[in-house]
Formats: sequence, structure tokens, C-alpha cells
Amino acid sequence: MKKALCILLALLMLLGLTACGSEEKKEEAAVEGYQPALDSATKCKITVAGGYDNFEALETEFERFNAYYPNVELTFTKVDDYNNMIGTVLDGNDAPDIYVNYSWMYGRDQYKSSIDHAENLADPALNLDLSCIRSNIILNTDDGTLPMVPVFSNTYGMLVNNDLFEKEGLSVPTTYQELVEVCKAFREKGYENPLMGFTNAETTSLFTLTIYPFFCGTVAKDEEAVKKLNALDPSAGEYMRPSLEKMAQFLSEGCVNPDACAKIENNYDAVILRFFEGDVPMMTCSGDTVSGTKKRESRSEAFIANPFDYTFVPVPMSDEGAYFLDMPNLQFSVNKDSRNLDMANEFMRFLITSRELNEMAQNKGLMSPTKDLSFNSMYAAFGVIPESRVFSPEEIGLTDDAVIQLRQAVYGVGTGAMTIDEAIAGFGTYTR
Amino acid sequence: MKRIVIIVNAIIMAAILVFVVLYSQFESKDTYSRQIEHFQNITVTMEHVTENYLEGEQRICDVWARYINNNPMTMEEAHEFICSSRVLENTSAHLVYRDTLTGLSTRPKQGAADDYTVTYQRIDLLEDVSWINEIGESINVSRAYTNPMNGEQSLAFCDRVTLKDPDSSAPVEAILLRVIPVLELEQKWVFPQEEFANAELSMIDSKGDYILKGYSFKNSNFFEFYKSYNPSDPASSKALFDKITSATGSLSMVNSHGEECILAYTPLTDSVGWTLLGFVPAKDLSGGIENWLLVGTVSAGLLILFLFDLLYMLNLNKRLQVTAKEAENANKAKTDFLSAMSHDIRTPMNAIIGLTTIAENNLGDVASTGESIRKIRLAGNHLLTLINDILDISKVESGKLKLTPLTFSIEETVENLINISQPMVKEKNIDFTFWINGMEKEYLHTDQLRLNQIYINILSNAVKYTEPGGSVNVELREEESAVPGCIQLTYVVADTGIGMSPEYMATMYQPFSRQIDSRVNKIQGTGLGLAITKQMVELLGGTIECQSEEGKGTTFTVVLDIPAADRQRDNLRLEPVDVLVVDDDESTLTTAADTLEALGASAQQARSGAEAISMIEQKHLSGRDYDVVIVDWKMSGTDGIETIRRISSNAEWKIPFLLISAYDWSDIEDKAKEAGATGFIRKPFFRSTLYEKINDLTGNNSDSREPEDDYSDLQGLHILIAEDNDINWEIISAMLGMFGITTDRAENGRVCVDMINSAAEGSYEMIFMDVQMPEMNGLDATRAIRSSENPWVSSIPIVAMTADAFSENVAECLNAGMNGHIAKPVDIKLVIKEIRRIKERREQS
Repeated sequence: MKKALCILLALLMLLGLTACGSEEKKEEAAVEGYQPALDSATKCKITVAGGYDNFEALETEFERFNAYYPNVELTFTKVDDYNNMIGTVLDGNDAPDIYVNYSWMYGRDQYKSSIDHAENLADPALNLDLSCIRSNIILNTDDGTLPMVPVFSNTYGMLVNNDLFEKEGLSVPTTYQELVEVCKAFREKGYENPLMGFTNAETTSLFTLTIYPFFCGTVAKDEEAVKKLNALDPSAGEYMRPSLEKMAQFLSEGCVNPDACAKIENNYDAVILRFFEGDVPMMTCSGDTVSGTKKRESRSEAFIANPFDYTFVPVPMSDEGAYFLDMPNLQFSVNKDSRNLDMANEFMRFLITSRELNEMAQNKGLMSPTKDLSFNSMYAAFGVIPESRVFSPEEIGLTDDAVIQLRQAVYGVGTGAMTIDEAIAGFGTYTR
Repeated sequence: MKRIVIIVNAIIMAAILVFVVLYSQFESKDTYSRQIEHFQNITVTMEHVTENYLEGEQRICDVWARYINNNPMTMEEAHEFICSSRVLENTSAHLVYRDTLTGLSTRPKQGAADDYTVTYQRIDLLEDVSWINEIGESINVSRAYTNPMNGEQSLAFCDRVTLKDPDSSAPVEAILLRVIPVLELEQKWVFPQEEFANAELSMIDSKGDYILKGYSFKNSNFFEFYKSYNPSDPASSKALFDKITSATGSLSMVNSHGEECILAYTPLTDSVGWTLLGFVPAKDLSGGIENWLLVGTVSAGLLILFLFDLLYMLNLNKRLQVTAKEAENANKAKTDFLSAMSHDIRTPMNAIIGLTTIAENNLGDVASTGESIRKIRLAGNHLLTLINDILDISKVESGKLKLTPLTFSIEETVENLINISQPMVKEKNIDFTFWINGMEKEYLHTDQLRLNQIYINILSNAVKYTEPGGSVNVELREEESAVPGCIQLTYVVADTGIGMSPEYMATMYQPFSRQIDSRVNKIQGTGLGLAITKQMVELLGGTIECQSEEGKGTTFTVVLDIPAADRQRDNLRLEPVDVLVVDDDESTLTTAADTLEALGASAQQARSGAEAISMIEQKHLSGRDYDVVIVDWKMSGTDGIETIRRISSNAEWKIPFLLISAYDWSDIEDKAKEAGATGFIRKPFFRSTLYEKINDLTGNNSDSREPEDDYSDLQGLHILIAEDNDINWEIISAMLGMFGITTDRAENGRVCVDMINSAAEGSYEMIFMDVQMPEMNGLDATRAIRSSENPWVSSIPIVAMTADAFSENVAECLNAGMNGHIAKPVDIKLVIKEIRRIKERREQS
């Protein structure tokens, strides 16, 4: 007994001494499957350039990467006038190691530098786990190279106030018919604006967000249509007719109050803050806008006073169900002239994993480019849409110019500035 | 008690630790506060440095702007003017019209050597220029932006200028930008490394947007960065904003790693609401290493002390337990000892008292009284042995036993051994043999008394524990010793006695240990013999071994290295004599023949009586007779006496015979003498024994010994006895009187001295001196006598007769000047022997 008491006291003292020691612990390795390939003591600086003012989600990834390479200093630099300046930056003394790139820059002379500086990320020697990303948003060039990989994806849909649906005993609609009925039901229950959206400008207007996925569904498997649309052949305007008619029908169903929508000043803050008022069951927006909701919860007095549960779901404009317009949002390229190319590639190898991409998407509030969308309840509704109803404009082959024709035509019809025929007749003449 | 000590120790240690930790924490906090203050001061210093730098850069821009404004010029002229100014290699200047946000750069566009046009149309920097004050009013620095000419992240020091339209000469508002790459600034704009290695600087504008951004600062806005990693609400965010943008101070916040950091802030004067931020991990300021080192050292020290004390206490405990156990055992041993003593003393005392009572009641019956007195003497002797043993073991165990080396004859020792053992050997009809082997050195120098004790104890045990009809064989052999000047004496006693069990053998050397055996218990013994023997052997530097088997017997072997005395009888040589040795034992024959040959005699051997007769006959026929015939008594066939008788019956053969016997020959003396034996000799044969016996028979020995029972030489001796005890005086006086010795008594030492001094010369043969006496003890009395001027007085033999029987007492007596020592109770035989020794010595001198 006495001996046990003495030993216990001695152990307690030892424990006490141990407790006095440093509590520093190496952060537990967080990435499944990722194994560092370089010397962990490597010391260098890696710069990632982009157009974001803030990229805290990426900075978090820097921290996680530092668990493996503590001496690598990673920074994100905002480049002003990104799209126009990135080429100059890449050619200058301050060229980043990794930079944000866009697939729409393919084939455009003014962005040639941005594509030319990009390393071929499909090179097996780099050992990137591209299989974790949805294949329809991995866009190889014609020669088979892959200058960029998506780190976020984007889509169009609508924010849904789940508490209102629950309160009114309604279900989130999954078909066009249900959408119309839900809007009608809300209206009958006193909700003046069952569905709202930004309408003051064409970019991500309510009209585009609702009908663009529908339009892709109508031409996705029609190569000739795509070809004519891309060629801005005036006759291709007819391919827009079903979409424009659908838009007109939708607006005539009384789901949207144009006057109320017109009060939403912009397609980001104003959309979110209006939705947070809590009286709008459905608010169309893009994935970009969704990413700003979390931070703005604290800026909305209405939401602070009456917080509610919300998610982002596709807008069901078809009787068969909704379309999932799957688009790459932000894509990363590695500067092949990087002074720390090995470490830049190592960071990409670290980042391009389901776990890290999902983590970063979650932090940023954007949709993850990985095959698994279930991890984030905000976007989970898109993960259950069957593959036959998932489209990527790039995969379909529609050029930006062709898409602009649709967006302008839809906006013209949606706002009442044009008739459907006028809009179709104008095909090929619309600019940004 | 121990538990209390441990708990108290633990509490004290815990209290010390708590104190050290609290003190350390207090010190840490104090150091931490001072460090924060220091960091804040450094930040303010950096603000001055920054301000000076910014002012310097702004001043250059101001100079250009003033010149342009004072000397109306077109865009091209102004461009040419700035280009002609000395501009640092990495810097450039841009002139931009406010309306079109286009203009000229002093450095060409990257990749186009002759293109100096610049546009700020797509850079959100110059649409609103309200932040650019009038020239010289403030530092007008832009946020970090992308230089449209080369894509480098840059800062621009700005001034508003007025150019003139090249066509109309009308004034045109423009902005002059002195553009400096951020990279350039970052290399210069760092905290002093020796102060704070991990500190970083940032500069924010009035909204919190970074103008310059340190690595650990995240987001594009400091307050957004703060909110991302630190809990806040709108109210606290507003308070934080107001605090940081309006005053100098510091606060604690969490960085993107979740680490606590210190943010020092100070407004940049001469700017539009800008703030300089210093950022450093809190652990860099805590300076806690020393304190934790102190705590760690104290903890480790206490722990080591605790463990040391713990181990020491455990060890002490263990030793105390052992000591307690030993004390317990000792106490038990003492109890057992007293119990055994009580029993062992009471037993003979019972006999003495009981038999004395019987004798008193039967005074008329001479035979009964005689028998009682004989038994009383036996019991008394046993009691004396017991007391001697107890004293011995007591001295041995207390370490007080000291050796008193003397030169003595081993032959005497052996003889003594045989003499002592013979009565019981005879009584029990034990087959007893005593062999000596290789005994070259007869005189040895060691404590004879202790050696005797060892040999006697072992031999007496062997005889005691051997059943009647059994045998006891003793061998004493001399071998070469590894110790210089010594011989190795090996003493082996083998008996066919009852033997010992292994259990008993394990404890047989412990005092009062006796084998539990019905046969043993009827044998008297103190149970101290083996214990004393073992101790004595070890004291003499020897070894004792024992082999025993129950029912078969025991063999003890004692090996001792004993110094040989300087004095040896090496010159023993017989006159040339023919000796016939008759014995049926081959080894006896060989030993005797060898010894005789060594003495210079001619020895022949006969292995039986008949062979001896035949050889004597033949010798006689040859014209010579043997000078001496030595015949063993116990031979198979014709024994020694019969052989002597047959030879003696021939009147022609006048040969002296020595009869060999291992036993006391008193029983056969008459019969042997009648048969014709001339003398007796005892086995084993020592050289000196044979020498003296043969010389006696051949008439060459000048020594003539008195018969042992002839005390006529003592008649008329007058001895002074100093004895204070009346009974003792009476006893010794009476005992000496039995031998015709007269005595005078001195009641104490003083009287003794007076009596001898006043006595006529030669009136006393010697003095028997008691030691412990009143008035003057025996030692002082002896010294006084020895110091007398009267030569007769000073040389008179004095023998101690005292109950102080230890060897040191003996030595004390001898040192005081006495000539001998006799221990009480006195053995009259020893007293007579001592008187004769003294007498002979005086006669010789």
C-alpha cells in the first residue's frame, strides 16, 4: 500500500513535469492517399495568383499543406484586372507559380499567354488524382493536354428557405409542374414573391439562371444545332424557341413578381440579403452567390433575428425534372516556368484530392468539383440528379458567343423588351 | 508513521512546486507584459521608420508634382521631365489623365520596348482620388495593385498635377504616380530580426484593407481576417475597428494556425487613417523557457530527491526490518539460551544437591556415600564444562576471544586427547585407533588451549555419539602448508556413531543445537561444543568439514595451518640398537620402522607373535639379541602379552619388551609385567616417545621420572596461599594437605606481600595467588613481590589460582609477573602437576 502510494506520487510528479512541456504537436496528416514526395524540409515560396480579393479557403489549404512542408511559404496574390493582366504578370518578374485560369480563354489570342504558360496537368508524371473530379468539367484541349483543373464548380439554381416549406407543409419542387404549384400555393398563403431573382442586368439574371440549363438540355445531343449555334448562324435562333417559350410560359404562370425582383440591386449582396429577409421561399442565383451567403448571415439583421435553414437546389424547368448545369468555376494552372515547379506540382498533387477539394469548397461555400456532392448539404440536391440530365456547356461544345446569344435573347424576352420572334431573329447579333 | 512522513514530504514538495509554478507564472506574466510593451514600442518605432520612408518617397513625388504644376507642361513634356530625373532602377512613374485614366509611363510596357502608354481603366484605383490630398499635405500611397505595365504588385505615391492640353493649352487634371514594386519594399520593410524573428508588419487603410500585407495576415481586409479566426459580434467588431484605427496599443488574437498572437497597432501619422500593424506569436514574447526551465529543474530536483529519499527509506526500512528480525531472533536466542542454560545448569545442580542430601543421610554407609560423592564430582565436572563452554561461546560471540600462542608439543596434545577419551572408550568398548602421519614437527606455536578444545570437542562427540561396540578412528597428519613457516595439520575423526540428519547439519554449529533423537537426548552435553569448535577453528584460520549419514556415522575434518616452533628436537638419535617391531597392522609396522630408522635404530618387523619368536630365535642364534622388542598388545592369534610370555619363557633371551597399546594399560599392567613386559608404549608413535622409551630400556636416558602415584617428592613443601574466601582456602589447603604439603594463608594481597617480605628465605616453596581480593588484588601483590629487593622474595614462584579463567586473564597474570595460572574450580591433578613443574624448574635453575 505504502509502496503503491509512493509510486503513485512519483508518477503524478512525472505527469506534472510532462504537462510542463511543450504542447506542440505536429498536425495530424489530414489527407487520405496523399503522401509527400519531396523533402519535408524544403524551403521556398509559392505564389498563387487570382482575381479574388480574398481567398481564405485557399489560405486554409496552405496551412494544411504546411503540415507536410512547414518551410514552404504559400501566398495568394490578387491581380487587378485579372483576365487582362494575367498574361503580363506571367511574363513579368513577379510571375506566380500557380494561377487561376479559365477554359474560355482557349483559342483567344489575348489570353494566349495564360494558356501557353500552363503546364500539362494530364502528364502522368505529375501523378495528379484527376479521377476524383467530375469528368465533364475536366476540359482537355484539342491536342489532349490539360492546362488547368477545376478547383471549384459552378451551377445555376435557387436558394430554398426550407423552414418556410416546412412551415407551410410544402415540398421543394422537383418538376416544372410542382414548381408552378408550389408557387401558387405560396401565393395563396400570402407570400407575394414565391420565387425571386435578380433581373436588373443580364448577367446571372433570373431568366438566364432558370432557362439556360433547360436550353442546354434541348441541344445537348444535337451536334448540328451546336455547330450552327456556335457559328452564330441566324437560322440557329430557332433552337432557342423552346427555351424562350418555356420562359414566357413560366413568367405567365405568376411565379415571379417582376416589380419586386427589379428592386434587387445586384446579383450578389442584394440577392442574398433579400433572401435573408425570410419571406421569399425561393431565390434564383448562381453558385458564386451561394458562396457569399454564410458570411452575410451576420450582416442581415432579419436573418440574425429569425435565422432559417436554407439549401441550394436546381430550378426544375422541365416536366421530367431539373437539369444540372455543371460548369467549372475556378481552375488552377501551374506556371511551367515556375522557379519552384516541383513544389508547385506537389501542392497541386496535395490539393487535387477529394478531401482537399471538398474541404476548400466547403470553406469557400462553392460547389466542389469532385464526384461526391453529398458531403455538403447545401449542394447535395445536385448530386442526386441522374447523369442524363447533367450538362456542361463546355462538354456540349457551346462557345461563349453562342451562349451570349441565348442569354441576351432570354433576358430580352424575360424583361418584355422583346417578343420571342424578335429575340430569335436577333440571334447572332447579340454581344456582351 | 512512514506513511505520514511520505505524505508530509509529498505535500511539501507539492507546495514548493505550486509556489515555483505560481512564482514562475507571475514572472512569466510580468515578462510577457514587458515584452508586449516592448513589442508595441518597436512597432511604434517601425511606424516612425515607415513614415520617414514613405515621406521620403512622397517627397520625391511632391517635388516632381510641384515642378510640373509650376511649369505648365503637356503630358509628353511632363513625361520627358520625369524620365530625365534620376529614378531608381525598379521604380517607375506614371502620368495618368483623370478623365480617361490613360497616360504615359516612364518605363515601357513589358514586351513592347517603345510602348509607354499606360491605362488604369480596369484597375480600381483612380476612379475615386479623394484619398489624394494636396501636394505636401500628406502621404498619398495607393493600395498594393498590379502595375499595368509589367504586372508587378506595386505601391504608388501619388499627387494631383495639372497638365496643359497640347492643343488648347487648357489645364488638364492628371495624377502623377511614383510606382514602387511591393517586392522591393518587402525586402526593406521588416522587423529587426534580432528582436523578434517571427514578427511581421502590415499596413492597413482606414477600412482595414491591406496596403502592405505580412505573410501571416490573411484575407484582403484585416478585420475580415480577425473575424475569421476570432469570435466576434457586430458590436465587438466595431469596437475593435475603432480601437485599432484610432490609437496605439496591442491586443491578443488568434492567427490562422489557431495560435495566440500579439497584435500591436499604431496609426501612421501624416496619412489618411492608415495603421501600422505588428504581429508576433505570443510564445515569442512569453520568454517562458527560462521559467519552465526553473520549474522543470525544481521538479526534477524534487523528484530525484523524492525518489532518492524513497529508495533510502525503503532501504532503511528493509534494514530496520532485518535488524528488527535479528533483534527478535537475538531476543529469542537469548530466551532460548536462558531456557537452555536454566535447564542445563539445573540438571547437574539437581544431581549435586540431591546426592549431597543422600550422602548426608547415609553418612554411615561408606559405600553409598562414596558413590554419591563420585556422582557429585561427575555432576560438578559437567557443570564446570558447561560453564566453561558458556564463557567460551560468550567470548567468541562478543569477539573478545583472543588467542594466546604458546610453544607446545603436539605429542602432549595427542597424549592428552587419548587420555581424556580413554575412560569412555573403554566404558563403551569402542574400537579406538589413533593414527599419526608424517609428523615431522613436534613443537608448534599456537594457542594450545584452543587447539585442545577443538580436538577434544570433536573426539569427545565422536566417542559420546558412538554406540557401544562401534569404532572411532582418529588421524592426525602433517602436510606441507601454503603459509610460510606453518605446517598443515589435518585432524580427521571418523566414527560409526548415530550420524546426523541433513536438517540438523544445517544448524549444528549454532549454540544449543542438539539433534532431536532419543539416543542423543540421553547423552549429556551443553549443545555448545560444535559452536565453540567452529568458532575456534575459524579463529585459528582453519576449516572444519563434516560428512555424516544417519545411522552410519560421522567424519569431521579440521584443517589448520599452524606455525612450527623454532625449537624442535631435531637431534634425536638413538645409540645403534636392533629393534623388532611386532604388530599385525601393516601401517603401524611401517610407521614404527620408519620412525626408528629416522632415530638411527635398526628396525625389523614381525607380523605375528609366532614370526616374532622365530625372528628372535634366529637373531639369538646369530649371536646377537634384539636390544628392544616392541609388541602390540592386540594382535590376531597370539596377542602381545602371550607373545612376550612365550619369549620371556626362554631364559636365554634377555630382551626388554615394550607393549604397545592404544588404551590405558592400567588394566593389563599387572598381567603384562607378569608376562615379562618391561614397559608400555602408546600408539601413535611419536619420534620423541620412541626415543625416550627405548633409551629408558637401554639405560641411556638420564631422565628418571617419578611414578605418577608417588607424591613423596611433595612431602614437606610449604606454600603460601593468598585467598580471601574461607571455603576456597579450606578446600585448597585440605587438598594440598592430602599430598603432604603444608600451607599458610594470606587473607588478601597486602597480607601476602607482608608475609613473604617478613618470611625467612626458603620458608615458602611458592605462592598460590588469588586475583580478586580486597585491599590489594593478586596482580598488584605480585607486582609488589616482584619489585622486592630481596632476591628470594622477588623470584619466588607465584601461580595464579583464580576464577578469572579467560586467556586474557591468564595473560594478565603472566604479565604481572606470575609463573602460571590455575583456574577455579581447581583440578588437584593440575595443581600437583604445576607444583612439580615449578619445583623441577627451580631445581634445574
